[in-house]
Parts: sequence; C-alpha cells; structure tokens
Amino acid sequence: MTFLDIRNVSKHFGSVAAVSNVSLEIARGEFVTFLGPSGSGKSTTLYMIAGFFEPSAGDIRIDGAGILGLPSNKRNIGMVFQRYTLFPHLTVAENVAFPLRVRRRPQAEVARKVEEMLALVRLDRFADRMPAQLSGGQQQRVALARALAYDPPLLLMDEPLSALDKKLREEIQAEIRRIHRETGVTILYVTHDQEEALSLSDRVALFNHGRIEQVGKGRELYEQPSTRFVAGFVGHSNFLDCTVAARNDHRADVVFPDGSRLPGTPVHRGAHAGAAAGLMIRPDRVRIGARGAAATSAGVDAVLSDATFIGDTFHFVATTAWGAPVSIRVPASAPMPHQHAVGDRVRLSWDPGQARLFDN
Amino acid sequence: MTVIDAATSTPPHAPSASSRRAARGLAAVMPAFALVSVVFVLPVLALLLRSVLEPQPGLQNYEAFFASTTYLKVLANTFLVAGTVTVVTVLLGFPVAWFLAIAPAFWSRLLFAIVILSMWTNLLARTYAWMVLLQRTGVVNRTLMGLGLISEPLPLINNLVGVTIGMTYIMLPFMILPLHATIRAIDPSVFQAAALCGASRWHALTRVFLPLTASGIAAGALMVFVMSLGYFITPALLGGTSNMMLAELIAQLVQSLLDWGLAGAAAVVLLTVTLAIYAVQLRFFGFGRAAG
Amino acid sequence: MLLDFARLGSWRLLLGLIAALVGAFLLLPIALIVALSFGSSQWLQFPPPGWTLRWYEELFADPEWLGSFLTSFQIAVVVTVLSVGIGAMASFGLTRGEFRGRELLRALFLTPMILPVVVLAVALYAFFLRLHLNGTFIGFVLAHLVIALPFSIIAISNALERFDRDIETAAIVCGASPLEAKIRITLPGIRLGLMSAAIFSFLASWDEVVIAIFMASPDLQTLPVRIFGTLRQDLSPVIAAISTVLIALTAGLMALAALLRKDARS
Repeated sequence: MTFLDIRNVSKHFGSVAAVSNVSLEIARGEFVTFLGPSGSGKSTTLYMIAGFFEPSAGDIRIDGAGILGLPSNKRNIGMVFQRYTLFPHLTVAENVAFPLRVRRRPQAEVARKVEEMLALVRLDRFADRMPAQLSGGQQQRVALARALAYDPPLLLMDEPLSALDKKLREEIQAEIRRIHRETGVTILYVTHDQEEALSLSDRVALFNHGRIEQVGKGRELYEQPSTRFVAGFVGHSNFLDCTVAARNDHRADVVFPDGSRLPGTPVHRGAHAGAAAGLMIRPDRVRIGARGAAATSAGVDAVLSDATFIGDTFHFVATTAWGAPVSIRVPASAPMPHQHAVGDRVRLSWDPGQARLFDN
Repeated sequence: MTVIDAATSTPPHAPSASSRRAARGLAAVMPAFALVSVVFVLPVLALLLRSVLEPQPGLQNYEAFFASTTYLKVLANTFLVAGTVTVVTVLLGFPVAWFLAIAPAFWSRLLFAIVILSMWTNLLARTYAWMVLLQRTGVVNRTLMGLGLISEPLPLINNLVGVTIGMTYIMLPFMILPLHATIRAIDPSVFQAAALCGASRWHALTRVFLPLTASGIAAGALMVFVMSLGYFITPALLGGTSNMMLAELIAQLVQSLLDWGLAGAAAVVLLTVTLAIYAVQLRFFGFGRAAG
Repeated sequence: MLLDFARLGSWRLLLGLIAALVGAFLLLPIALIVALSFGSSQWLQFPPPGWTLRWYEELFADPEWLGSFLTSFQIAVVVTVLSVGIGAMASFGLTRGEFRGRELLRALFLTPMILPVVVLAVALYAFFLRLHLNGTFIGFVLAHLVIALPFSIIAISNALERFDRDIETAAIVCGASPLEAKIRITLPGIRLGLMSAAIFSFLASWDEVVIAIFMASPDLQTLPVRIFGTLRQDLSPVIAAISTVLIALTAGLMALAALLRKDARS
C-alpha cells in the first residue's frame, strides 16, 4: 500500500535538469534512503517533497492526496537538516515545543509531548539547556525530537550526520534505527555515504544525473547492480576492460586484452557479442593463486604491485599483463596472504557467477 | 553540473516560487528607498543643480569660485589641513595599531578602550576640550610657559594649527582601527620565515611588514583624508574666520551670503573630490573598507 | 618576531612610548573636561583651585538645557525606532531578495554615511525651507533618519548574513507561517544586530550637530545645537558639565554594546 507516491517528477533550473522523471512508491513505515553523489538530484527531490521547490513536472502524493501547491508549513512533514538548525534563543524544551505551539496545542499536551520526545532521543536531562551548550550530536538529536514532536507521518532527513565525526555518526545511526522502530514513522533519508545508506535503510534509491539508477535493498544493490554506475558507487569494484566473445541469455564469455578467455559471466542487459565491455568483480571476491598451478580455474595473470595491511584485511593491488590495476582484499584471518610479496607473478581468479558484465 | 550543485548543496528556502521571493525582497527595501530618495538624493541633487541654475543658467558660479583667490585659499587650506592630518594620523596610528595587535592583553585592551571611548565621545565635547586646552590661557600654553619653553603664549587656536590638532585627535581612531585589523590578519609565521631567510629586523619591517600593511595604511589614509576634507564642526570652532575650510565656506555662503549658486558650486567641488577618492578606494580596496 | 611583543627588543620601548603618548593624547582631553566640570574656576583653570557641583546645578536648573536634552532624546528615540524598523526591512530585502541592482541599492543606502554631512545639511535646509519642515520635529526626525539608517543596515545585514537561514526554514517546516517564523525565530536570532543597530542609530541622532545647526529654530533646538551656540560665545564650565554627562552616557552605551558582543560570543 503506497504511502508516499512520487510520480514522474522532474525539476529544471533554467536549461539544466536537476531531476528527470523520478518515480518512487514508498510504503507507510518504510525507511528509504536517497543515495548518490552531490548534484545527483537526491536533495532536490527531497526539497520538492518538503515544498522548497515546486516540480517542473510530475506529482507527489501522500496517502493519495496531492501535496503540491501546499506551502511547506502546511505539509505536516518533519525534517532534520544537514546543518544544526535549532533555534538558538530557545531552550531544548522550547525548541521541541515550537511546532506544537505554532499549532496552538494546549499547554498540558505540549508539556507531555516535549517530555516524551526528549525521552525518545534520551536527552531528558538537557531540557533546560541552550542549543549552544550541546554537542553537535546532541543538537541533531534535539532536531530529531523537534521534527517528530507533532507526529508527522513522514520524516525527511537531509544528510543530518554529515557534520559529525565517524564514531558519533555510527552512534546516532543506531539511535535513528531505534527511533524508527519505536515510532514507525516513514523516513526518507538523503546521504552520499553508501555505508550509512546500507546500514540504515530498508531500501536504497541510488541517484545519478537526476535519475534513479536502481532501487532496492542494500544487498541487492551490492550483489546485483543493474548498471555500471551502481556497481561503482555501492561498495568497491574492479572494472576490467574486455570484449564479449559469445553470449547466451544471461551469461557471456569474454576475452581480456591479453587474450585470456573467461566463460560464464552474468549479464544484466546489453553486452552483445563483439562489443567492448567492462567486467566488474568485487575486491573481496578475487582469489590470489600461484601462477601455473591454478591454470585450470578461470582468471587472469598479473603481478602484485602493492600490498598493505590495514588492520582486519590485507589490501593488494595486482597489475594485469595489459596494465590494468586490480584491487584485492583478503581477510587477515585467511591463512594465505603472507606468502605473497610485491613483485610476485600471480594468477587472479574468481567464481564467474560473482562477476558482472556491463557495456562500456 | 555546477548549476545543479549550486541548487542542491544547500537547501533552498521556503516559500518556493522565486519570482514571488524577488518581489517581496523589493517591497521590503521600498521604505528605505523612498526615504533615501526623498530626503537625501533629491535635496542633494537640487543643491548641486542650483550651482548651474542660479542666479541664471551657466557656469558663472564655477568661474567665480575658481577665479577668487579667497576661495582658492579656502581650497588650499582644506587640502593642507586634510593632508597634514592624514600624514600625522598615519605616523601615530601605525605604531599604535601595531602595539594594539601584539601588546600584552591588559595594555592592548586598555588602549583599545581609550580609542573607542574617544571615538564615541560627543564631537562637541571633544572639540570643547581642545578649545579649553589650546586657548591663550589654556593648559597647553600655561604648561609650556611654566616649563620655561616659551615666554609668550603660542597662538594655538583660531587658526589652522588648532584645526589640525583637533582634527588629528578626531581622525586618529579611524586610522588606528582599520590598521589594527590589517595587522591582526597577518600570519606571524611570515616573520619567522623572513628571519630564517636571514632578514634583519629592519629588513623585516621594510620588506615584509610595511608591504603587507600597505593596503591597510592606504585605505585608512584615504578615509581620513576624505573625512577631513568635508569636516565642519571642528574647523568652525577651532579655526579662525580668516582661514576657513571648504565645509565652513559652504555653510557661510548659505547662512550669511544666501548665495545658493556659489554654495552649490562649492558643494560640487567637495563632492567631486570626495567621490573621486572613494572611487580610488573602491577600485583598489573594495567597497567593504570604503563603507566600514 | 615583529608580531611578537616579547621579542621586539629595543623597539618594544619605542612602540610602548608612542602608544602611551597617543593614549594620553586621546584620553587627557576627556579627563580634563570631567575634571573641569567639577572645578570651581569660572575661567577653567587647571588644576582647579577648588571643587564644586555648581555647574551641574546651573545645568539642571536651566529649563532651556533640559528642554534641549528632552528634544534630543525624543528625536533620537523616534529615529531609533524608525531606523531599526526600516533598516531591518531593507536588510531582509538586501540580503535575501534576488532582484537586480541589489548591490547598487545597498551602496545608495550607505552613501549618506560617507558624504560630507555639510552638503546634506545645506541641501536639506534648502529642501525643508520649501516644505516648511525646518525647525520641526518631523524635519529633525527625517534628517537624522537618513544619517542613522546606514548604521542600522550595516548592523542588521551583518547579523542576517551570519544567521543560518536554514533555521528559519526549519521553523517553517515545523508549521510556522513564513511571517511567524521571521517574527518568532529570525528576529530573536538577530537580536544582537538589532540592538547594536538601535544603539548606533540612537547615537547617530543624539550626536548629530551639523544638520541640526541649519535646521534648528529658536523654539526647537537639540542639545548639540545649544552646545554649539553656547561654545561660539564663551567656554562656560556648564559646557564641561554637560559634556561630562554626555561622556558618561556614551561610555554607558558603549559598555552595553561591548557586553552584548561578549554575550554573543559566549
């Protein structure tokens, strides 16, 4: 059952299309993230829902009712901003009370709701503080309490954690997940941080050049990227130039520039026989073997050009015979890596089912 | 792409339609615009126009102004005083600004407070103080005579000496404050770098410090000069009737001689010089300094 | 090293000496007036032969001085209110509007501050002659408003530019109408700018003398006009007394402004 319905929405600034024909249906209580690089249209789409921009075309409906034409203050939407937007001259409690006061709610209800919201974000002891006395993380939690105080059915969050350091970010992500569970509010979350998107949301909509490239659960985006952009943006990837030698329904055989041939790579679309293509393989799916010994398994020859130990993993870079760098990650707990040193001639292999082929 | 980035990097501002926002912004400036137009632009333009319209259309007022040795002397006095005041305020203001920027907190705060207090003390009160100090039997003359340095009181008032002293007093803060900001903005490590390069203290001053503060000195000097040109009160009270400055002349022409045409011409001369100097300042230092 | 006081060596003495002399130069005239206002010498001898409150008694007993004081105060208060109101509107328009010629307009609004005030005084005198506004309360208010407005616009525009506009947007998303958000959130948010606009506007009017000299009538004289007129005749110690009152007032307002700034920083 669709709660928020974004239908064929476009937004042009002069001759520039910031958002092109974006459609998305979001169910009540869902947590959806708009992920994408800056300038991809994710924030613009959010601002159209908030009412800061009117779309050039398309429609946005909440619970079946069109919201376009309603000013922001009549949309009854909650929002947490990228920068700290607490009202600097009001206490924490007064900040949370503000949306209730402009709605002329009775004093008793305001007091009860403020208490409830501050308890929700675990800042009850800070009710009488001024915003300037709070840390950045605390300020964003108050902003969250303020945005939820009037029980809006939809909460928009515009990169709310980008000003915080990594540790604090992870802490508040956990808070946001908990609050989402406890309140059941529908959340639309904008971020350019793919880890944040994957860890927070039920579904991720990946934006690029004003369009949605793919929508799905985080794991789907990671494991079954439908475009080269998705594959490159979500998680780390290697792209190896190759030519499609043969192709059947869902799989293709490819030939690398050094002549080595690899059968059975899955194809989503495109990649006709004879076409130049890019083979995507995740660094953690590449195996390193000794040259010659594993010639039976499909793969390519390479020379190790860099090895780094980064705590829980080894990070290798191998250079193929035609000069393409391949990044490889091996868990430090795996028995193998210490056998390899920079300069070793190795064979890189992988399960063909874990690679994917995209048009160049 | 850049357009998209600009549109999305910070949230736009509700309410939406940009044409409505523009219209609203324009409406908000209208009271100020009406006030400044009617009570400033219109009267000033009218005055300037009178210089070429009264008593009859033509340039005779300008001819009269520039043909009269009296008026040319007034112009010369004005530039002489403004120039002297500017030079003295630079010479005194620079070390003071330097001191303010680096002295121990207590002393720099104390001096800063004195500068601010003197700047904001009522102009007439300050001018009165100098009238008292500089008069024939005033503190300055009595002190100098008491020390045996002079036998007769010096004529320090009702002449350009008095005007220059009083104006220097008034203009000093306008030199010190911007220069102080300029010096504060210099990264001290440039002097460490200069020292490591082998520069002596004198070299560091002349080759590094002064060039780095040159724009601040020039901006402050232009401001002091242009403010001095048009000053009225201090010359009127500390100066003599025989050595007028331009602003006094304009006032006299209107109040005593009722010669609006000539007053308009003198005003045009004053405004032209003022605006020319501000144009120089704007060209080289930007509007912020000119306005601030 | 040139910016490190402790390492200036012998130059430190020179710099300190000049600073001390200039400090004395700036402070002594003010101190002198205050001292003379309590001195018993009619001829302003210094040091005074004795101390007295006579000049203050004369000052406060004179209805003309009190009248001028009141006139100046009333004008300054009205100017302050209008200057902050009009200045706030103009600042919103200038910092947030998107119409053409905004920078030009800002420059126009600031021009009265940088042009020689004597030109404006003479021009306004002529203009107000036709409108019969010379020597009227409204005339004084209008003229001083033009002088005070640039101070308001600078102070409020600066505050508005520093105030994160997303905060106002957040209030609107919370359900406040744009006007309500401005009044309940943005104005309190820039209150320090508004207050310094008020202080500077007040002082601009309160201390204004050049325009007032031209516009004043025998019936309506601001305090500076009366001081100026008196000074042209003699250097009465009463002027020292009134100057001292003015200095105290200014110092008080400046201290208030400093406190506000300190408050803003903490």
